[in-house]
Amino acid sequence: MKIDRFLPTFITRHVLFALIFGGVCGIGFILFLIEFDHYTSTEEFCTSCHSMELAAEPYRNSSHYKPESGVRASCGDCHVSEGVLSATWDHFMGSKDLYKQIFGHDYDDPVVNALRLPKAAFDARKWFKKRDSATCKKCHVKEAIYGSRTDTLQIHLEDAKDKTCIECHYNLVHRIIPDEKVFKQDKWNAMIEEEFGLEKGSAKKILDD
Amino acid sequence: MNWSKQTRLNLLTFSAFLLFSQSTIAAKVTLDSSSWGAEEGKACVECHSKSSAGLTHQWKNSAHAQANVNCLDCHQAYEDDADAMEHEGSVIATIVSPKDCGRCHTAELKQQQGSVHTKAVSVIKNRMPALAEHFGSLSINDAGCAKCHGSEVKVRGDGTLDPTTWPNSGIGRINPDGSKGSCSACHGRHQFSKAQAREPAACTYCHSGPDSPDKSIYETSKHGMMYEAHKGEMNMGSDSWIAGKDYSAAPTCVSCHMGAAGKMKSTHDVGMRDSWNLNEAVSTQQYLVIFDDGEKRELSGSDPIPRKGESISKMDGSMAKVKAVASPKRRRSAMAKTCLECHSKNFANNALRQFDEVVELYNEKYGKPARNIMQALYAENLLTPLPFDEPLEISYWNLWHKGGTRARHGAAMGSPSNTWKGMADVGSLFYGKFLIQVLAVAGQEKGDALIKKYINESEHHQWLNHPDKSNPILGYGKGSSDED
Repeated sequence: MKIDRFLPTFITRHVLFALIFGGVCGIGFILFLIEFDHYTSTEEFCTSCHSMELAAEPYRNSSHYKPESGVRASCGDCHVSEGVLSATWDHFMGSKDLYKQIFGHDYDDPVVNALRLPKAAFDARKWFKKRDSATCKKCHVKEAIYGSRTDTLQIHLEDAKDKTCIECHYNLVHRIIPDEKVFKQDKWNAMIEEEFGLEKGSAKKILDD
Repeated sequence: MNWSKQTRLNLLTFSAFLLFSQSTIAAKVTLDSSSWGAEEGKACVECHSKSSAGLTHQWKNSAHAQANVNCLDCHQAYEDDADAMEHEGSVIATIVSPKDCGRCHTAELKQQQGSVHTKAVSVIKNRMPALAEHFGSLSINDAGCAKCHGSEVKVRGDGTLDPTTWPNSGIGRINPDGSKGSCSACHGRHQFSKAQAREPAACTYCHSGPDSPDKSIYETSKHGMMYEAHKGEMNMGSDSWIAGKDYSAAPTCVSCHMGAAGKMKSTHDVGMRDSWNLNEAVSTQQYLVIFDDGEKRELSGSDPIPRKGESISKMDGSMAKVKAVASPKRRRSAMAKTCLECHSKNFANNALRQFDEVVELYNEKYGKPARNIMQALYAENLLTPLPFDEPLEISYWNLWHKGGTRARHGAAMGSPSNTWKGMADVGSLFYGKFLIQVLAVAGQEKGDALIKKYINESEHHQWLNHPDKSNPILGYGKGSSDED
């Protein structure tokens, strides 16, 4: 039996091989991306940078790490969008963090990290808001938030009808940082100075470096 | 008493101050009603009816709710405020300070400013750590002392309120906005009922400890007895609450210390009518100095009396011009105004005289000798400077702070059982422990000299010099015990 009989004449043997090879490669690439997105979303991968270990400490004491249900949200479950294309895009954009980790400020230093944390938090909150808290909604369904108190569901369905999760639920997982509107850098600096036993005014110098 | 012309002038000014700066009933809010009822605040109520139903229910039953004053009107904050936080799209603060309440309640704020209540932190700031930390630890300060006196609320760098300083509704609380005091110390959140604040319980929440046993004093006074029997006739919720006019069943704490009576106006300066200082080792008659900026301070009767316009130091050490001075006599006569609604002048004056004499007795017999002995022992380094590390110091403290306060407050508010118990406690401690501990600390020779100087030569302790004078109270002269 000759293949030529079933295929248009322009599909030569070489073209056929190329198509099969390309297809396999394509599927392989997509599978690779899926695996890549999956692996790079894990706590293990994220905390391979020391600076992220600092962000992970409070996370490990949070209800997203130790929920009663046992359903643990990993870094990527919240911070990486769903779907191969979006996830890959997020990772592509996230590579700027890697760039900053290598060429930017010394984020591995707990003081530098703490001083620059608010800016990162504000950016993260904007990211969530822009996406209508999409990653929260992967697990949480507004219509199903029964809660343990009387009116939790009603609050979510009525009062929070037009709100997105992040508007109310921030400061859940990581270190508490005020909303950008009321954030006071000098007060934040003073707190970090006290926490690390630094001289007064040194935080500003560290930030200006 | 011979008053100088200047003093008389000051008294006149003060009387004018009393008349014009206060009102007979809760002062009318002069702010235009368009200034409250914030539109955004209505959404707060919607959600909080579900998330904190109890709190919202209290508010719904309040005069605030009736007047259309909602959550945001009191809790709104500016982004720059130290304790500002973002909440559901609004910038708010958890703490509603007297300054916040004073946006509308201007008259009450003016009276409350500089009052002895607002100084509840500063007057004991230096000595509180000794008592709190030596007998307890910082945690007793946070959950005990500061709950009544007030905390210095700290806002942390992350915008949260330092949990050692908040929650707190102590009367002298130092707020993040710099204002002093807490209206909710007496006006419980979130109903802010005036009837509730007029109840003795609003005061005895704090005034019931060993150093201010006013709950048991009031309850065992004739006034308290009448109140208990006629609670239902007190007209507590009335807008106008003038003793003798709007109610007459009994006076509460508020009636005498703050309330309106006859032509006398009510005031939120709770210490204004106190002619004595009853919370020191030795009581003194006290002048009230009112400064230009509304601040106030107490001056002992033995201090030079400042003239109007003169600059003297305020409690915090800064200088300010004197606006008016109220003498102890003037303050006493304000206090006595309430008495006259039910009692004759003589009746009232004699009752107050009996009180004065207990204070003088306490001062002369125990307060001054004990203080003088302690000062001599400190001066000669026979006691360490550290408070409470020697048993004598504990006895001295209990002498005036516990028994001495009970006796004096008991006499002030007509509780014979507390007057007697307090004075008996002081006497037992003084003769049974204090003097023996003085001898132990100072040694026989020096101790004897101190006791001779301050005790034996005092007319109050002459009875000690007659050991042969018998009395059957302890069984002397009843013969030897039966042998069986």
